[in-house]
Amino acid sequence: MQDFLKGFRDEVRDLLWPKQYFSWQTLLLLSLYSLFIAAVIESTGGNNPEIVSLLTNLSWIFFIFAVWWGLKENPVKVYGFSISPWITGAVLCMFLFKPWTDMRFRWALTCWPVISVGVMALPHYVDWELKVKTPKKETQKTLVVTLLVNLLLSSWIQFFFRVQNWVGDYPSLLVSGLDDSAFVYSFNQDGDRQSQGVPLLETMVVDIEQELSGQPWYQTERWLYTRQPRLDEIARRAKESLEAPAEGDFWRVDAPDELRPIEDGYFLDLTASWTGPTSRQGSFYVQKTCKILPVDVPRPVPAEADKPQPTSRSTIVDCGEEPPIQRRSEESLLSSG
Amino acid sequence: MEYEPILPLRTILFQILFLIVATVIEAGILRQRLRLGFKTSVQYAFVTNLATVVAGWITFLVIEPLVSTAINQQIIGYILFDNLLLNGWNTETGAVLFLCAIVVFFLAFFIKAKGLELFLKADDVWKFLAERGNQSASRDGRYARARGSSSTESSVPNFTDTVIQANAASFSAVLLLLLLRAVAREWTL
Repeated sequence: MQDFLKGFRDEVRDLLWPKQYFSWQTLLLLSLYSLFIAAVIESTGGNNPEIVSLLTNLSWIFFIFAVWWGLKENPVKVYGFSISPWITGAVLCMFLFKPWTDMRFRWALTCWPVISVGVMALPHYVDWELKVKTPKKETQKTLVVTLLVNLLLSSWIQFFFRVQNWVGDYPSLLVSGLDDSAFVYSFNQDGDRQSQGVPLLETMVVDIEQELSGQPWYQTERWLYTRQPRLDEIARRAKESLEAPAEGDFWRVDAPDELRPIEDGYFLDLTASWTGPTSRQGSFYVQKTCKILPVDVPRPVPAEADKPQPTSRSTIVDCGEEPPIQRRSEESLLSSG
Repeated sequence: MEYEPILPLRTILFQILFLIVATVIEAGILRQRLRLGFKTSVQYAFVTNLATVVAGWITFLVIEPLVSTAINQQIIGYILFDNLLLNGWNTETGAVLFLCAIVVFFLAFFIKAKGLELFLKADDVWKFLAERGNQSASRDGRYARARGSSSTESSVPNFTDTVIQANAASFSAVLLLLLLRAVAREWTL
């Protein structure tokens, strides 16, 4: 055990400790050294952010060159093909883009293949004395092909992010599965996703309850009589409060022209239909029904001795506890055969 | 941000398949008509097709965020569900799509011709080809052919003709594959 640890230590030291001053290990140590100094300056609390950022940038640059140089001497090969430029490219991208936020991460990943080709091509165009030279024709051809292949990789990565944008902006797209697609494959096969129509209708129902509950019955009847503009307004607000509000344009909220009567009151059927892109199986809709009923409540006036308490007609709205139901559209099922 | 587990794997598969098909077909035509070597013609066909594909991707990625919501909706429907909502399908949209196809075809032809020219020049083959082409395409030769005297007819046809032929052949092959896929899907439904 002792021997093994010692051997390991020696190996690490051999790998990391410079044998000559002019080597990549020196650069790595320089990088660590500037980082260390930057940390010291930062921790002393001195107010000099410029120096700290200069030192960290310097540390990055030393590190990139160290990685580049180190990989040049010990290339990483996959099936005899050196992938060193892509590793250096990854480090360079980290420095250039600082991909700690989503947007920067996307750009970093998209540019990574192309930047790696740049890393790969640079030594062919500039020699050690920083003089521009023209590489051999064979090398140039190889570089052109590599550049094109990497541009294609970049396009695929960017395309992946575009698709992510779409499903992020319009999550209800995922209700109809992606099995038909000729472009993408979804690893999430567990079906039966909830569309955003469900939270949409739930928000609307809460709004309607707030507007009507406790209102005098005659006002409720007037509200129901002119319900279309009011419902439109409520729908608009509900769409804005969705988790992905961009999707609002794809939802159409309908109430039927005729109210279904029940006892003294009415059923209010709300339907939210998806009008956006769907699979060939057709679209879907979400439905929820509210009961709007009159109720007699005692009026807050002193009752006379032998007469019953005077009452007024107020409103209760009962939408039930169960969530709205999501269904496939019947008509498109019929029309698609 | 969380990402949905949706990967463009099918895009990659189809892209590779179509690239191989187009390369094989175009390499065959280049080899036959420009008298290039086997390896060179495959190389040229591959590079020019790759360049075309990359140009197409860049165009799509640049244009996609700029188009109107209605068109974007169609694009999403097509890419995610293989389903064009052809509600407003009329002669106009048909004409626009047709025009797009023609433009794409000629842009692809232009990129391939330019790329091939550059590569041939880099390999110093262009001169020979131009000489050989001139023999047949020179005015006298053409006039002579028009008059019916076929004595000056060369066996090497024009460079442009070859590229456009190769382009048409590979486009047709890919289109045929896409049609086959559509037909196969209708069958299984």
